[in-house]
Amino acid sequence: MTALRARAPLAGVGLLIAVFAVFFLLPFAGLLERGLDGGAWEAMTSETALDALALSLWTSALSLAIAVVAGTPVAYWLAHARFPGKGAVEALIDLPIVLPPTIAGVALLTAFGRKGLLGAPLDDWFGLTLGFSTVAVIMAQLFVGAPFYVRAARAGFAGVDAQYERVAHTLGASRLRAFARIALPLSWPSLAAGAALCWARALGELGATLIFAGNLRGETQTMPLAILSAFERADGLTAAVALAILLLAVALVALAAFWLLAARGRGAA
Amino acid sequence: MTLDFAARARLGGFSYDARFEAGAEIVVLFGHSGAGKSLTLQLIAGLLRPDVGRIAIGGEPVFDSNAGLNLPPQERRIGYVVQDLALFPHMTVAENVAFGMSGADRERRLGGLLDLMRLRDYRDRKPRSLSGGQQQRAALARALAREASLLLLDEPFSALDESLRVELRRELIRLRSELDLSVIFVTHDLREAHLVADRLAVFDAGRLLQFGGRERVFRQPADRRVAELTGVANILRGRVAAARGGELAIEAGGASLRAPAPDGWRPAEGEAVDVAIRAERVNLRRLDADDPEQPNLVRGSVREELAYGATHTLRFESALGQPVEVEIAARPYEVLGVAGQKAWTLELPPEDLHVMPVSPESSPSLSASATTA
Repeated sequence: MTALRARAPLAGVGLLIAVFAVFFLLPFAGLLERGLDGGAWEAMTSETALDALALSLWTSALSLAIAVVAGTPVAYWLAHARFPGKGAVEALIDLPIVLPPTIAGVALLTAFGRKGLLGAPLDDWFGLTLGFSTVAVIMAQLFVGAPFYVRAARAGFAGVDAQYERVAHTLGASRLRAFARIALPLSWPSLAAGAALCWARALGELGATLIFAGNLRGETQTMPLAILSAFERADGLTAAVALAILLLAVALVALAAFWLLAARGRGAA
Repeated sequence: MTLDFAARARLGGFSYDARFEAGAEIVVLFGHSGAGKSLTLQLIAGLLRPDVGRIAIGGEPVFDSNAGLNLPPQERRIGYVVQDLALFPHMTVAENVAFGMSGADRERRLGGLLDLMRLRDYRDRKPRSLSGGQQQRAALARALAREASLLLLDEPFSALDESLRVELRRELIRLRSELDLSVIFVTHDLREAHLVADRLAVFDAGRLLQFGGRERVFRQPADRRVAELTGVANILRGRVAAARGGELAIEAGGASLRAPAPDGWRPAEGEAVDVAIRAERVNLRRLDADDPEQPNLVRGSVREELAYGATHTLRFESALGQPVEVEIAARPYEVLGVAGQKAWTLELPPEDLHVMPVSPESSPSLSASATTA
């Protein structure tokens, strides 16, 4: 009797988990089922799809690279510095994470667009237009993706006992060497997780790109935009599904490769 | 190798002030936790910055507030073992030890150090899989690997078992003389301080109370607080009745004590003084009713007794009006038949009495609580 009473809530929890799992898995099953339709392969290998895929891959990789190069020192500094208003600075850096992407797009446009705060003088003096270009794609991805990296890296650096680097200094290590030999390897898992999130966010970027960079094939049409365009055409669902599967597959392969590399990096460190 | 150290600092509510020097010797920084011992090492290493002062290693200044000089830690040639060791968790023992090494014969020197610290079998292990003692040996090897001639050791042997401690202390003393090392050694263990120190610096609440040769500090503490910290059980408050030549007559309670006048200081007649005598220096004599009243012989009766095996500690209520603690070895304890006999004559030999000035901040009530604690 007691055993039965003890098991009843467990069964309830089990059912809840099962429903939850189905909710998350069923859409993938739907994608695959549709993808097996005729015409999917054709859509995947169409010039539009391959152009969008190539653009997506190289822009998101470049966004990630910029986020890592610029974000790592920022994260390290935030993890160690103490100054008044630090909380506000951190909140500001986290802001794009919670900001709806469409707002990010509008905000970028008001700053760097042809009539924007910085965009207008750039256009007037140098004839330089950032909006609706491939540069704008990268800027949109960086804007929404980099905070994920900075946030994770900051937490990673803050988690390394400061005593290790102090001791490294007493053993003759310069700041750079202490960083490379101590802080970097010890916070590696956080950096890797942050980089993966940043890249995934950049790859999936739609709203900000659409508003700030537009949807020009070969120039600003990344995979998410290509999927949207396909979907908006009459009977475009098959093509949209095909592109979605393609993006999903590429993302999975890239993430798997990334984790393998990260695991090896941790082992070697 | 030499170290010249003078620094003042205010850190939060803690004020620090100390000045000492070291040659090719082991200087022990001794005191309770929070006294400023570890802080001293951090100041020398450059991990903390004094407000005012001058620190020179081997004659070369590394910090000088007047000259605006403050070398970063990596430019000060020291070997430093921090209290929590801070072995790099992602590196093997060998990688840890080799971290600060440079030069061509790294591999050979690494092997030598691992042998010296008996870590050869653990060279490819990560620190977390080592015992506390092995970790301390690895940290010591890493500090030695820099071949710095100033070693800063923060309680380096605390996690070791006694036999290894003894061996490493001996090793340290050998290294000091062979490599012309200056060693600054932090400990709160009185016995360890006694064993390794050439000179002793006694810290309390951020201040260096006394700095001098080990024997001098132990035998002639500068004041009541130093005496308490260095384990003097009996600190008797008295008054100078007479001062003639090299000798003082001191009234304490109803008894009188003769004591040699201290070096470099001559109390005036009528001045209050503290008189220190270690528990093991007090002799027990059988009580003889016919004994004439003599200086340095005081009647007492046992109030409390603690048996430690090799020694016994007896607390007496005495004619000095203050309790007196006596430590006696097991053999004389038995020969004299101390057990079962309450009333004794306590002999306080003049040569074992040390007269100290009464420092303003050390009140007798404070010492009473410290000696009974």
